[in-house]
Amino acid sequence: MKKTAEVVVIGGGVSGAAIAYNLAKRGCKDVVVLEKEYLSSGATGRCGAGVRQQWGTEMNLRLSMGSMRMFERMNEELEYRGDIELTQTGYLLVAYNERQWEQFGKNVELQHQFGLDVRKLKPREAREVVPCLNIDGLVGATYCPTDGFCNPFHVTQAYAEAAERLGVEIETFTTVTGIERNNGGISGVVTDKGKISAPIVVDAAGGWSQEIAMMAGLELPVYSERHQVMITEPVDPLFAPMVMSFQHGFYTQQTPHGSIIIGMGEKDLPHDTDVRASWQFLHKMSKLITWVLPPLEKAKVVRQWAGMYNMTPDKTPILGAHPDLEGFHMALGYSGHGFMIAPMVGVLLAESILGLPASLPMDKLDVGRFQRGELFVEPSVV
Amino acid sequence: MRLDEHPILTFQRGKEVSFTHDGKEMRGFEGEPIAVALHAAGVKVLSHSLVKHRPRGFFCAIGNCSSCLMTVNEMPNVRTCTEPLVEGMRVETQEGRGSLLGKD
Repeated sequence: MKKTAEVVVIGGGVSGAAIAYNLAKRGCKDVVVLEKEYLSSGATGRCGAGVRQQWGTEMNLRLSMGSMRMFERMNEELEYRGDIELTQTGYLLVAYNERQWEQFGKNVELQHQFGLDVRKLKPREAREVVPCLNIDGLVGATYCPTDGFCNPFHVTQAYAEAAERLGVEIETFTTVTGIERNNGGISGVVTDKGKISAPIVVDAAGGWSQEIAMMAGLELPVYSERHQVMITEPVDPLFAPMVMSFQHGFYTQQTPHGSIIIGMGEKDLPHDTDVRASWQFLHKMSKLITWVLPPLEKAKVVRQWAGMYNMTPDKTPILGAHPDLEGFHMALGYSGHGFMIAPMVGVLLAESILGLPASLPMDKLDVGRFQRGELFVEPSVV
Repeated sequence: MRLDEHPILTFQRGKEVSFTHDGKEMRGFEGEPIAVALHAAGVKVLSHSLVKHRPRGFFCAIGNCSSCLMTVNEMPNVRTCTEPLVEGMRVETQEGRGSLLGKD
């Protein structure tokens, strides 16, 4: 392992890999990525894999639409020997009450201003998109055909390999144990395999990002909570788009392989880093999903797992430099939607770290917004 | 082929019942695994591999390997090597990964 570096990125998820690649691409090649397990072992590899553009705020629309354009040409851009498996079969967002439907209307108006192809569907039209959908009580749905899903392991691998070709060093199974400071700034990162002197650190540690910040003496207004997912055996194609309800907090998609991924945000979860699976989730989730998509009664669940959402008070990420510690940069607090915006975050963080002009103003996503009381309210989060 | 006598084991078979395999009438003993009844009736191919469509037969016999996945009473992916036979069952060879929408 190197003894010195220009930038140390903490976290070998999709964010860390994307940031490292974008730094190297812009000429900053003396970069080390530290990962305490293997690449994608945290939230990236445990997520529902959806890439959605149907957001309710300008910032999230620009982040997600920009990222989708990058996913679309990622195999070529990163010269990946594999395939990131982008499948654009749409997202169907279902509304079960009038208030939600009204909000969807506002979102669609905004989305249309940004040129996103989104359609408002009546319940029976929603059934044309997902024929097995239970439309009892459904008020309406919105459908964006260019939304979809993509393989998070491949995306992270693609970024990591491209970064390594440009000279970035990736150290897996290396745990950060401390961050050293000198007058006002950062002097290095201590790991279980030795110390790296570096003036710049990027905290992209997902569920553990607040613990990393603590090592630098910073308290962040974020916490982690467990979210669970289950997956069925592979079956013949049943539905194409991701189906998602904000009211119930569930999302489900059938992978190209045929297995169906089903996840849900639970209420009143403890704030910790527990990622064990629970039978309560299996029970609750099965009951709900067989009501929404009745044919799933016949599918067998083969596996269940959990990962961490790193939550902020307004469920929107914290991006950029920390005002109280020179050289400490953050890409964290994704609140459950980090994977789908990672390509843009990679670009923005690299630009901000290197002091280059920003492709997109992200100052509204700074950590200071919580103190200023300028919460960034996104109406469309599970 | 069935063993009727064995030096150590004794067989306690259920009553003889009828079922269908791909529409064809068959007979087996109630409670024995479906795949056993099929095997005794000479059915050796239970499924086909997904990519190369090669025949798959009775293999692990303990519900692990997915070689014997068949559609039973319109329920896809039933592990027939462990699922007990019941009178009147409709056992069908499954094409592909199995449909959740009833018939294949």
